[in-house]
Amino acid sequence: MKRFTCAELRYYDGKEGRPAYVAFGGKVYDLSSSFLWRGGRHQALHSAGEDLTEALREAPHGAELLERFPVVGELVEE
Amino acid sequence: MARVAREMVEKTGINVDQLVELLVKNAAAELTTYYYYTILRCNLIGLDGETIKEIAEVARIEDRNHFEALVPRIYELGGSLPKDMKAFHDISGCPPAYLPAKIETVEDILKVLVEAERCAVRQYTYICNLTAGKDHRTYDLALSILHEEIEHESWFSESLGEGPSGHFMRRGETSPFVSKFLK
Repeated sequence: MKRFTCAELRYYDGKEGRPAYVAFGGKVYDLSSSFLWRGGRHQALHSAGEDLTEALREAPHGAELLERFPVVGELVEE
Repeated sequence: MARVAREMVEKTGINVDQLVELLVKNAAAELTTYYYYTILRCNLIGLDGETIKEIAEVARIEDRNHFEALVPRIYELGGSLPKDMKAFHDISGCPPAYLPAKIETVEDILKVLVEAERCAVRQYTYICNLTAGKDHRTYDLALSILHEEIEHESWFSESLGEGPSGHFMRRGETSPFVSKFLK
């Protein structure tokens, strides 16, 4: 499984044709196919290419919605 | 724009541009749901489908009412709707409630309906959390819509056999909570 640092993850911001990846709980998910992550933005609040572990605690949904998408790697320390 | 009304919200620390974007996304979700529910309702046929059709119709009309109720608040806060309907569709806060490619039972349509309502419940819960105690007018609007979305979810959830919710189908006028914003 591919390993991403936070700096590497930032490349996958969903813009200009790049995939939309986000990290949660140490896993990196590919949300490129999600209607709700078009253009790498989600609900006016979140951007792809980021670790959303903390942000998801405030979200009106749990990790179960992320789990519908493929895991493409894991997030590691810089 | 209602300048002072916007200033009052800004003073609470809410990012008003972000809030307006959320309201526009939800207005898009409501109007597109109204459209997609039209197709879903048309396909609720047969003995099982007919039992759901009237409920789906009430949810469809109430979702259109939610769109109508949201629009003034968007403009009061200095926002606007996109001029391009296609762009409006694509920024929706909820995925399109497409007619399933293959319909074997009414449950296939009910699953689309309940998922759409669950998305709406999440959306308005979030807006209520964001605005509670700060932006009273948006909170009141989002809470009123939330009341109706939760009832919609309950109707479809019960029809899917997920258990009782204590709700009954709408009696009397549609949008009992949101109608005060439509007068």
